[in-house]
Amino acid sequence: MKRFLVRGSLFFVVVGASIATAHAANKEQRTKNQEQESAPFRPEAWKFPPLEKAKAYTGQLAFVDHANRRGSIRVSGGELFHSTAPQPFAMLPYGMARYHGAPADLRDIPLGTMLHGRFYLPPDPDSSSVPVISRGDVTNPAENHAVLLEDEPTFCLREGKVWKLKEVELLKDNKQGMIVASREPKDGGEGKESEQRMTIDAATCIWRGREKLGFEDLIAEGLWPAEGKKSLGGLTVYLGITWKPAGTWERRVGNRLHISDIWLDETAMQRATQHQIKVHRELIRTRWMPAFVDAVEYGKFGEATVTATLFGGMDPALYADFKEGVGGQMAVTDANLKHSEGWVSHSHMAIKGPVLDVTKQDKEVPAGSSGITIRMKVDLIVEGIRPGKIVRIRPMNWPDDAVPREEYTGGKKEERFPTPAIFPKY
Amino acid sequence: MKRFIVLGSSFLVLVGSVVVTAHSANKEPRTTNNEQQTTPFRPEAGKFPPLEKAHAYRGELVFVDHANRRGSIRVQGSGMFFRNDPHPFALLPYGIVSYHGAPADLRDIPLGTVLHVRAFLPPDPKISAVPVLPVDNKSKDANHNRGTGIAPAENHVLLLEDEPSHCQRECLVWKLKEVDVTRGREGMIVATREPKQGSDAKATEEKMTFDAATRAWRGRERLSIEELIAEDAWPAEGKKSLGGQAVLLGITWRPTPDGIFTRFHISDIWLDDAAMQRAARSQTETHKAFIRSRWMAAWIDAVEYGKFGRATITATLFGGMDDSLYADFKKGTSATMNAVENNLKHTHGAYGPWHMASRGTLLDVTKAPGNAPLGSSGIQIQFETDLIIEGIRPGRVVRVRPGNWPQVQVPREEYLDNNTAEERFPSPAIFPRY
Repeated sequence: MKRFLVRGSLFFVVVGASIATAHAANKEQRTKNQEQESAPFRPEAWKFPPLEKAKAYTGQLAFVDHANRRGSIRVSGGELFHSTAPQPFAMLPYGMARYHGAPADLRDIPLGTMLHGRFYLPPDPDSSSVPVISRGDVTNPAENHAVLLEDEPTFCLREGKVWKLKEVELLKDNKQGMIVASREPKDGGEGKESEQRMTIDAATCIWRGREKLGFEDLIAEGLWPAEGKKSLGGLTVYLGITWKPAGTWERRVGNRLHISDIWLDETAMQRATQHQIKVHRELIRTRWMPAFVDAVEYGKFGEATVTATLFGGMDPALYADFKEGVGGQMAVTDANLKHSEGWVSHSHMAIKGPVLDVTKQDKEVPAGSSGITIRMKVDLIVEGIRPGKIVRIRPMNWPDDAVPREEYTGGKKEERFPTPAIFPKY
Repeated sequence: MKRFIVLGSSFLVLVGSVVVTAHSANKEPRTTNNEQQTTPFRPEAGKFPPLEKAHAYRGELVFVDHANRRGSIRVQGSGMFFRNDPHPFALLPYGIVSYHGAPADLRDIPLGTVLHVRAFLPPDPKISAVPVLPVDNKSKDANHNRGTGIAPAENHVLLLEDEPSHCQRECLVWKLKEVDVTRGREGMIVATREPKQGSDAKATEEKMTFDAATRAWRGRERLSIEELIAEDAWPAEGKKSLGGQAVLLGITWRPTPDGIFTRFHISDIWLDDAAMQRAARSQTETHKAFIRSRWMAAWIDAVEYGKFGRATITATLFGGMDDSLYADFKKGTSATMNAVENNLKHTHGAYGPWHMASRGTLLDVTKAPGNAPLGSSGIQIQFETDLIIEGIRPGRVVRVRPGNWPQVQVPREEYLDNNTAEERFPSPAIFPRY
């Protein structure tokens, strides 16, 4: 995945140009605004959108409604982070959450975690499960449908970055302190970011190999001082980052962030990743793999051949279970990936048939897609399996154990299209 | 804390009695129900309710709205667990949450955790932040093979605790009898929950699943199932007796195999006391930092008004916190007191909660003798301020900050702005109707 231009940044560049005349600048600004208003980019129903059209922003996870794949984020960038109201967001059906360097569901990410995200405008404002923003701003962006959400270690692992710890300072009571660190490319070179001061406290978890430590353990080992400052010499680590209240109106500390976790070595980080991979693998095996229906070729007496593209971002072991010739089952879902049936079991109304073939796209795969297309022959096609719609599929070696009540809709309209009215208006 | 009689259990005992005639049996339940309908117990503002009046149930945490101290639990009943609608609950202002044997906020508990609940009817149904149900709802069959008890009207929670917290409070442990491993990564454990000190009574065995994501904690170490297998503690395949190994378990729920409708899942195994104590210490520190930044919640017992806005306020600090937090309330030290709502949101916060708070001195700090009722710390403070603010009245809830706690600004969802009715009294309409 590559970095991309923030939409509209050209507009700000134009506004910032001091050499243009006021008239020309105004004209230019109007033109750009008109372009934005006349042709804002919205993802289409069955197309994975280009990542370069997404808007990037960071924020703190403040609320989660995991069953509807939505929540709220306190978006960074405002003057005062504490008084920034949480902004609702929804995951696109193919939107990927990642935690500790591994695939995740929203339910896996602790409230308070700082996240990096890539977002689009609502694909269909009429059925948006979160409020539609007509005129967004920095902390209330109109782009509130996520294609990617990732915590700090995931972001660093994907971007090839690490944190280098410069200095730790612990206060006398051993309960809190400060770390000075900078995020930079793991392999050195360009891209070193400026130093940040972040708080730590006695609840900060420090991971070393198999061990989970507190900073009192590091003090006992003589690695950190019991009180005062110590240089850490640019120690390479991964950090888990949250935000906690700090500073006051008069005594501002610049929206300072807080360190929840420090992974001291690669082994510790890999163990965290492996654990989260297992958590998510079990989730997907029981809820089944989501996919877009690309095409349906109808046969006789209800038979059909369905072509579908599996969504991306999962553990490769899950995709490996989709093999030519294996039996499979396909169930109808909605944009929030809830099964439409589930009262008996979500497999009750799911259609069955063999996987005819599995193909992997050679070219670059867009974010949200696995690049893997399967063809399944089913003996009785059901309503809901149409091009552009979303399904969940299991190879028959995955379980069909009944999913919980909030994860199927029974076809009820309120459950299929959850209202955005649940979000408080601040 | 002692075990208690579940409200209405006398009704069930009577129904179960086989020696009474049909006539008298029919008459008795009606009488009991009538009593319940005429005098249902509800907590009152300003009084900590007796724990023995609480209804006890257990279920899976499914949804959390931590800013409003409410959420949903899938309550364990007698039927098909997966079909049970998530049941909305609200924490009472003095409601206590325990996680890993330590004080917690709702935000600290991962979704999916199975919790033990002690709850009451809504103290004031008109302003309940969760749907109000018929008072006898816990005894109604929910139909569709879901059984009774999955949507109790007692949805205002005094105590919410995860499995290790429950076990430690009740001096229980899990004894692992047997493990059965499949494909080197998942399987079943047979275990019994029994008194730590032993008992003559035969404990009932429970079968629970585990999988590759189940964590084992030993001292400082976090281990995976594969590592237990690599150490020969567990077999790579098949059954092995574990000889009644005493552990504490973290329990969740996953879709259950084999057509079993209610079977729980083991998320964590604490193999020794050191591991559990480290987990408790970490959670204690998390909660201490949280309370120090949000302030200690308390009830106003009395206000004695002086001249020109002066007042002396008597308040009882809420319970369930770490002792070191209470120790910061010392006679003669400075303090700040702010009005909050029943969801413990500060009434002001755009400039920080202290901006409109009453400032003053702690004149006295006393600890009532004996055991305090659950919800109360038993610690009463007397606080003198030179300018009392609205909201500090007997029966109302406040938050208090001793002078040595940090002066910080809390996030937007944790304070009211302009005191709008919607923020003060959050609507129960956010909960889906299944």
